[in-house]
Amino acid sequence: MATLIQQIINGLSLGSVYALIAVGYSLVYSILLFSNFAHGGFLVIGGYFCYGSLRLLGAGIWTAGALALIGAGFAAVLTERLAYRPIRERTNVTLYLLIASMGMNIVIENIFVIIVGGRFRALPPVIPTTPVSVMGLATTSAFDLISLLSAVVFLGALQLFLSKTRWGLAIRAAAYDLRTAGLMGVNVNLLISIVFFVAGFLAAVGGIFLSVRYTLYPQLGAITIKAFVAAVIGGLGSLPGAVIGSLILGLAEMLTAGFISSQMRDLVVFSLLVITLLVKPTGLFGKSVSEKV
Amino acid sequence: MTTEREPLLEVKDLRVSYGAIRALSGVSLKVYEGEIVSVIGSNGAGKSTLMNAIMGMVRREAGEVRLSGSLLDSRSYRVVQQGVSLSPEGRKVFAPLTVLENLRMGAFPRGGQGSIGEDLEWVFTLFPRLKERIGQYAGTLSGGEQQMLAIGRALMSRPRVLLLDEPSLGLAPIIIKDIFKELRLINNEGVTILLVEQNARQALLLSDRGYVLQTGEMVMDGPSQELLANPEIKAAYLGAGGEKAIRSVKH
Repeated sequence: MATLIQQIINGLSLGSVYALIAVGYSLVYSILLFSNFAHGGFLVIGGYFCYGSLRLLGAGIWTAGALALIGAGFAAVLTERLAYRPIRERTNVTLYLLIASMGMNIVIENIFVIIVGGRFRALPPVIPTTPVSVMGLATTSAFDLISLLSAVVFLGALQLFLSKTRWGLAIRAAAYDLRTAGLMGVNVNLLISIVFFVAGFLAAVGGIFLSVRYTLYPQLGAITIKAFVAAVIGGLGSLPGAVIGSLILGLAEMLTAGFISSQMRDLVVFSLLVITLLVKPTGLFGKSVSEKV
Repeated sequence: MTTEREPLLEVKDLRVSYGAIRALSGVSLKVYEGEIVSVIGSNGAGKSTLMNAIMGMVRREAGEVRLSGSLLDSRSYRVVQQGVSLSPEGRKVFAPLTVLENLRMGAFPRGGQGSIGEDLEWVFTLFPRLKERIGQYAGTLSGGEQQMLAIGRALMSRPRVLLLDEPSLGLAPIIIKDIFKELRLINNEGVTILLVEQNARQALLLSDRGYVLQTGEMVMDGPSQELLANPEIKAAYLGAGGEKAIRSVKH
């Protein structure tokens, strides 16, 4: 029983980090209709910004965190301007964007290999990992609770931004029909920059927690494949879907690790993906494509 | 006619191509303050292209578009800020947003604050049906209600010129009558209207002046009453005869 509760908390914690990554991924998809494979790069940029601020600037975790989130946000905007906008302005074929994003992922990864080297780096112990008792039923690490709580705060803030602000409304409108949003007097390029900033910003939150969990290295972004799977399970382009899919995935991974075997984790993850694609290809909350005509 | 006055909206020698295909080859038109002007033409004549080119949604290859004498920007979000808005072909309401949110989107350029409440009231007086459906998702509205919403949304930016692309498309005749009656009211409130329509009779009955667009060229223009009485127009667009192109080009 204690193990079950513990693994559920761990699963939710991991799932909520996936959610931060998957939501940005899904947000970009909903506007531009392509899977941005450079998203993992944003996460790595966030991780290294945090690491650099802590080690080189001697900043505290709050400053380092803020620098990481903003830095990754602007890096995402820059990626869009350099690699995607020139393509967007010439063609409507999103396949080119997809390929460009794969290229940008390799570029970002290798920039870090060149500058900081490929070795694994541990972040200083800035996030407490002391054991915490959960209502006397189970013990878990403070880190898991903090990452869960942070994800809830950031996802809640995103929800508020999208539902209560003028630009949030514009993003929701653009997710349905980007062209018509432009017709309403929305500067579409600025809107896309805002979306990429938000995506990079949230990816960096996930990046910091993942670097603490697994250490930091240039290929850490590959973990985005899990967030991608979560987004597909939830339904690409749907934000609630991305969150639910991520939580399902996190739980499935941790319960498998706790009760079957840690090596079976990825097998379960990808089985879930295959089952989703077989049973409901649009995902749990996905919109059918025909609606968008 | 009133040629000395400066037109509110002026399109001069506008050319647009899609790749090698020329969609508009030198189109000109003038809309004076307070007028309703219609552009009629059959499918593929370039009517939507004309609207989209004015809005900056497609690239203007040559020619110019002026509002009160100053050039309209080529970026559509600036065009809306300058005072021209479009109710697009096929309505294009934001289906997953509510009626209120759709109208808010129409007011986007003004920062969402200020007189938005007043404008909402104005749109609701014009289209009381929208007020009844205020919290409903736009995708669940009927075709006629969606058209009202598209027009209301375009009015929320307080445009000096309202462009309408085929407001009658896919609607029952009785609803079309309603919509055109509303357009008359909107015009009486001081909004200048430029309308493109395949439904030539309705458009000409509503408008003060009309233009006839045929394969990317204006082939005729004049007061709507005259166009309605013109035998060639009758034959080609008003269903009195077969679909026959107009040969004579008068300007």
